[in-house]
Amino acid sequence: MSGSKEIAEARKNGRAALDEMAWKSVLANFGISTPKSLLIQDVMQSADACAKLRAPLALKVVSPDILHKSDAGGVKVGLKSAAEVEEAVRAMMKLPAIANARIDGFLLEEMAPAGQEIVIGGLLDAQFGPMVMVGLGGIFVEVMADVAFRICPITRLDAEEMLDELKGAALLKGARGRKPVSRAAIVDALMKVGGEGGLLMTHANDIAEADINPLIVSETGAVAVDARFVLTK
Amino acid sequence: MTSHQPPATSHIVEAFKPLFEPKTVAVVGASAKGAAFPNVFIRRIREFGYKGEIYPIHPTAESIDGLKAYRGLGETPNPVDYAFIAIPAAQVPPLLKDARGRVRYAQVISSGFGEVDEGKELQDQLAGAAREGGMRLIGPNCLGIYTPRGNITFAEIGPKEVGSVGIVSQSGGLGTDIIRRGLARGLKFSGLVTVGNCADVGPNDLIEFYLADPQTRVIGTYIESTKDGRRLFEILRKARGAKPVVVLKGGRTSQGRAAAASHTGSLAGDDRAWVALSRQTGCVLVETLEEFLDVLMIFQALTPRASHPMKRIVLFGNGGGASVLATDYFARLGLHVEPFEKEAVDALAALKLPPGTSITNPVDTPVGTLQQEDGRVAEKIVEIIQGIGKPDALVVHLNLSAFVGRTKPEVLDNLVKAALRVQERYPGQSHFVLVLRSDGEPALEERKREFRANAVALGVPVYDEMSNAGSALAALAAHERFVHSRSRDS
Repeated sequence: MSGSKEIAEARKNGRAALDEMAWKSVLANFGISTPKSLLIQDVMQSADACAKLRAPLALKVVSPDILHKSDAGGVKVGLKSAAEVEEAVRAMMKLPAIANARIDGFLLEEMAPAGQEIVIGGLLDAQFGPMVMVGLGGIFVEVMADVAFRICPITRLDAEEMLDELKGAALLKGARGRKPVSRAAIVDALMKVGGEGGLLMTHANDIAEADINPLIVSETGAVAVDARFVLTK
Repeated sequence: MTSHQPPATSHIVEAFKPLFEPKTVAVVGASAKGAAFPNVFIRRIREFGYKGEIYPIHPTAESIDGLKAYRGLGETPNPVDYAFIAIPAAQVPPLLKDARGRVRYAQVISSGFGEVDEGKELQDQLAGAAREGGMRLIGPNCLGIYTPRGNITFAEIGPKEVGSVGIVSQSGGLGTDIIRRGLARGLKFSGLVTVGNCADVGPNDLIEFYLADPQTRVIGTYIESTKDGRRLFEILRKARGAKPVVVLKGGRTSQGRAAAASHTGSLAGDDRAWVALSRQTGCVLVETLEEFLDVLMIFQALTPRASHPMKRIVLFGNGGGASVLATDYFARLGLHVEPFEKEAVDALAALKLPPGTSITNPVDTPVGTLQQEDGRVAEKIVEIIQGIGKPDALVVHLNLSAFVGRTKPEVLDNLVKAALRVQERYPGQSHFVLVLRSDGEPALEERKREFRANAVALGVPVYDEMSNAGSALAALAAHERFVHSRSRDS
């Protein structure tokens, strides 16, 4: 099964959740786009990597010792050239929290185009089995709990109705002068996560809780920028 | 509703036949003195018209209530279709073990099993004994079954007529309430099973049965805890709303996971899954026993029309303020009470109704207008509403207090019959619901009761207040929308 390898690896290493490389790989297996990224080991590789990626780029330190990259100063966004990347890497390596840590390398990642932030979630309900959730990102999820749940596997019609159920649904159509976003892309992502043969159905026994947050949805597509997959105990 | 039952479902109907139409009933726990609950049960089923064999089971008595008694479930002259068991909990497992495969369904009324901590192990033994004895187990910790088709009942009163409402309740007391209150409202049941702790047979099994049972048109269930929500989801989703299913769920407000590790986890209360179940399968979630009965009533009386889900509603009756409040309430439920187009208003104006009559929607007429020409004016009004207004549902509401001393008793019946006559001229167009408002005055209540019975006999669902009618209509509309949307979704 696609994704099984990553889950088995995480379990073998005693992890409670999938790490970034693992969840990106799992999402990719289910056809959900994640930002294109390359791991570089040092400054020398940055020009090569930049040539293969589309700016603007984000740079993230990769280290088993650093849990909160941003707090350690290990995230830099909006980099437009190889020169800027090289400078950012050098600057990071001088920071105490990073200089004293074991460093596996630096992740150079394409930044998702601007769009509406969506959250797609999943959880294993004790009675009903895997369930999928959708909500609009930011305060809509965190403050207003404006979300819709369904029992997996969902149909396309279920996915459409989930979006209709959101109080902030009008934002998807481009309220307040913003561009409308691709509803089809959200429905597709929901199906890949919660549909028949989707991620949650396939790994129902392994995934206790999941957040894809944010999934950035533009006029044309959707990219999962960050995610958290908590494994069952 | 579907005339062609696939083989698998007719198999389910056949499997439950000994429970719903037992030919032989064993009663365990009746005393020779005739005072225990099982003695009452024997008396009730005889009064209810049960004509099959009754086998009292007793360790020593020769006969009980004039019936020959037997020592055990394995010793009756014929195998037992249904055993009603009310003896101390610890004695039940050995009793079932000795049935030697000669009992089809055993309903264990006794409590002291899984509902208390010290009884959990005994419940496991009970389930094991039922398997060993080769029977299906209902209960323990329940009250019994009410099945008019089999002339079996645990309840003191209940309609003898076989109806179309199938119930499974995890609470015995609530089961009794449903029968008694349902009787008062005109509900008629295809069966009601109290399943208690569900050590074996649970709501899922009986919902599956009622879905397959040709006698049942609407299913109601009171659920406190599901052992297998997944199976419930699968059963209901497969049914695609073929029959309306009304769910009264106890314990919906319990808080979500205390220690969630994600946003999704922290947002998922117990209730989210039930709401999702309702959205995905079309089952109707209700909050109170009253709403449960109201919604069952509308599905008993009216046939859902998935081809054009209900949207436009016309209110017609006496009581301006009541109409305005109802319009607001209906709107909050997503039901539209919108003013008529000009053509309908003109036609109603041409009737030259007396002052005080409102002829947009809601149509609000004083009692005097309603009783003119023995109710024939009302028929003309309804004719215009149906012929030109063409609503999806017509709610006629009568404030009976205003009729007191001002009209002949038959005017009320005439009004309903007039509305039904008009409706027949527009087949399949609109649902018809009656609201009989009253003030609790005993003589008026008595009259309302008769009037209600007459209307229900004509197939009209009757409600006490506009709000009751509103929530029932909203459930019907939701069901129609669900079936309509799923008929296109493959």
